Amino acid sequence: MVRTSDFQSDGRGSIPLWRINKMEQHTNQENKKHWYDKNYKILLFIPVTLLIFSLIYLSSFYSQNNDFIYKDSSLSGGTTITLRAELDIVALENHIKQSVENVNIRTISDISTGKQIAVLIDSSAEPDVLKPLVESFIGYELTTENSSIEFSGPSLGANFYKQLIIAVIISFVLMSLVIFFLFKTFIPSIAVIFAAFSNIVMTLAVVDFFGIRLSAAGIAAFLMLIGYSVDTDILLTSRVLRRRGESINSRISGAFKTGIFMTSTGLLAVIPAFLIVTGLPESFRQIFLILGIGLSADIINTWLTNASIIKWYAEYKKL
Amino acid sequence: MAKMTLRIWILIISLFLALLMISPTFKNGVVIKNIDKDSNAFQSGLGQGMLIKEINSIKINSLEDYSLVTSEFYKDNKEKRISIITDKDSFIFLDYNLSSIVVGNLPKSNIKTGLDLSGGARALVRPVNGTLSDDQMSDLVDLTNQRLNVFGLTDLTVKSSKDLSGNNFLLVEVAGASPQDLKELVSKQGNFQAKIGNNTVFIGGEKDITHVFRDASQSAVYTAESLGDGTYLSRFTFTITLSAQAAQRHADITNVIPLDPTSGGQYLSENLTLVLDGQIVDELRISSGLKGQVTTQISIQGSGTGTTPDLAMSDARAQMHKLQTLLLTGSIPYQLEIVKLDTISPSLGKQFTKSLITLGLTVFLIISIILFIKYRKIKITLAVILTMFSEALITLGLAALLRWNLDAASIAGIIAGIGTGINDQIIIIDGSRSKDNSGIKEKIKNALFIVFGAFFTIVAAMLPLFWAGAGLLRGFAFTTIIGVTVGILITRPAFADMIRKIGEQ
Repeated sequence: MVRTSDFQSDGRGSIPLWRINKMEQHTNQENKKHWYDKNYKILLFIPVTLLIFSLIYLSSFYSQNNDFIYKDSSLSGGTTITLRAELDIVALENHIKQSVENVNIRTISDISTGKQIAVLIDSSAEPDVLKPLVESFIGYELTTENSSIEFSGPSLGANFYKQLIIAVIISFVLMSLVIFFLFKTFIPSIAVIFAAFSNIVMTLAVVDFFGIRLSAAGIAAFLMLIGYSVDTDILLTSRVLRRRGESINSRISGAFKTGIFMTSTGLLAVIPAFLIVTGLPESFRQIFLILGIGLSADIINTWLTNASIIKWYAEYKKL
Repeated sequence: MAKMTLRIWILIISLFLALLMISPTFKNGVVIKNIDKDSNAFQSGLGQGMLIKEINSIKINSLEDYSLVTSEFYKDNKEKRISIITDKDSFIFLDYNLSSIVVGNLPKSNIKTGLDLSGGARALVRPVNGTLSDDQMSDLVDLTNQRLNVFGLTDLTVKSSKDLSGNNFLLVEVAGASPQDLKELVSKQGNFQAKIGNNTVFIGGEKDITHVFRDASQSAVYTAESLGDGTYLSRFTFTITLSAQAAQRHADITNVIPLDPTSGGQYLSENLTLVLDGQIVDELRISSGLKGQVTTQISIQGSGTGTTPDLAMSDARAQMHKLQTLLLTGSIPYQLEIVKLDTISPSLGKQFTKSLITLGLTVFLIISIILFIKYRKIKITLAVILTMFSEALITLGLAALLRWNLDAASIAGIIAGIGTGINDQIIIIDGSRSKDNSGIKEKIKNALFIVFGAFFTIVAAMLPLFWAGAGLLRGFAFTTIIGVTVGILITRPAFADMIRKIGEQ
């Protein structure tokens, strides 16, 4: 690479124009940093407000539904029929509702053409009840060629749900232990764990808000979210605690540049599963959906929550 | 060209080994999945796993070719000379047809796909009363395996699993077509009893029944007859051979039963009742000639019904097949309950697989473009792409080696594993380019601290899935953990070396 000489005359004495621009930029950055130094504690209010809001929403959701999520039939017990067909789902729903109260019908369509690919029928009824109802509507038999039928007994569903909730808790505890082991200091570790906790709560609130019925795979995605989303927190904390040569702000902004790029690649990798590629298995889509929502929440929780706490800590400890 | 370091060599060797494990094949032919041990084909030396290349000098490249050739054999009912050339040797034998052999397409690689991608059926079964010990569970696995094998299912896995609270489950998975009777086959105890009055003459299982005839000479389904109410009934009959003890029991019991005067002394006054799991399958009159006789051959009868004569006959055939299976394998000593039963359409599965491959390629492309836009260096971008690709390939290789069934969640795990890989690579690249004064070695060391931290958290977070939910989500945890472990042990060190080399240049 050819380097421009520092002493090249460029009109304004001996300072080249690109350096002046850079200097102006630098002053702007200084101002920004100044702004950040003044306001980082206030910034912490944004995620905390969101978290409290999510918690309030979840508790009212709980009091209404007696549960923290809407469960699909793999967790509440029941049948899911995936039928490869194009049909009027409102009419189908009315038809089934004459005999079975609890039924939920969705379509899987091709995003580019809008064409229906398949119909998902989810109900608490047993296959022996649901199958003839669907057959009488479509006018032909459901075979293993044209449809998939998944049935979970109610006792198993309840058991699965309980198990997965326990798994989420164990997962969270194990992750916390690893974080404590890594950083061996209390407040920075708590900051990471708190950010991970906020991620879960906010993601759950969004999932509930949109009325998404979670499957077993969907809950499993929360475990992955716990492990995946702390990547950026570990990056931030380790840069702030370990790279002592620079100012705290430049440590944070360096981590931010890397971390936000990490999260955006993650998000961009998740998006095609919804916008470009269709006909993916439902379990798969749900895993990606939870990760997508979770990664978005992670941007807030890492760069507002965790960053503010760790800056506060580093300044207090004069690191 | 940069000097190859040991770590980069390790990566190359791992890639080579992974390819070897997956062993993609471009060979054509059909493979023998099951072969009847009593058949002439088996006697001639043909065996399971052999690849059929030619039958009677006609090349066999696919299942279609195979069924075309073999369907010719059914046109006459004559014994003929059949010559088969396989990948091992050529075999010649005499037979009517090739019904003793079950074949399947030659798999394109060692990668096994799960039910949601290949289609098939899955049943999760639980003992009704309490939990079973490990020994009891393994007995149950054996019995179920035997029963399904006798029924004619070959592409299946039966295993026991436990969940976090110690509940036992029996997981049965049948690949490909899903049998109608799976539900009954795995949940029925199959407690068969043949009774005269209150005395049991014989029960199902090899102790009392030494042979169950299933060939056309000793088993039959009769033409259906109308029952008058729009339904039809078709009877079936087949012969079984009793053990000496059971035959003696029959003699002792019938000896004391008087003749039935209303039948003119043609039959005994009590019937032989066939009971399966507490329900009467059929009731047979016992002819007077059998009184007190040590009879080793007994004919078993039953019936099927349907709304058309054809349906009645196929029902009868299915009932007979099931009963034969249960008689051969005996009963399962535990009461079982089906808690989950999924049948997945193979054609939906095919669509899923296609979509997943498209998605994988799309994500691959997007990431490559973003990385190039960000770093503007073809070498760095190529290093990341190579690493991504290596991680996917080595993970697939390990899955093939461990015979792991890759389902949709497992593939999500692979993609997520690669995702954390990308994160790590970004950390290493940015770490190595950071402006602080430490040397590149120190920078990469700092980056690796973060990478290891991220590794341990994701492993810790995914670990509970190995046990939760009867192990149905184990694949998700498995591929994620394998993926990140491959990353940390093989690809990450090699990638760090590549970046170091690029940085030093």
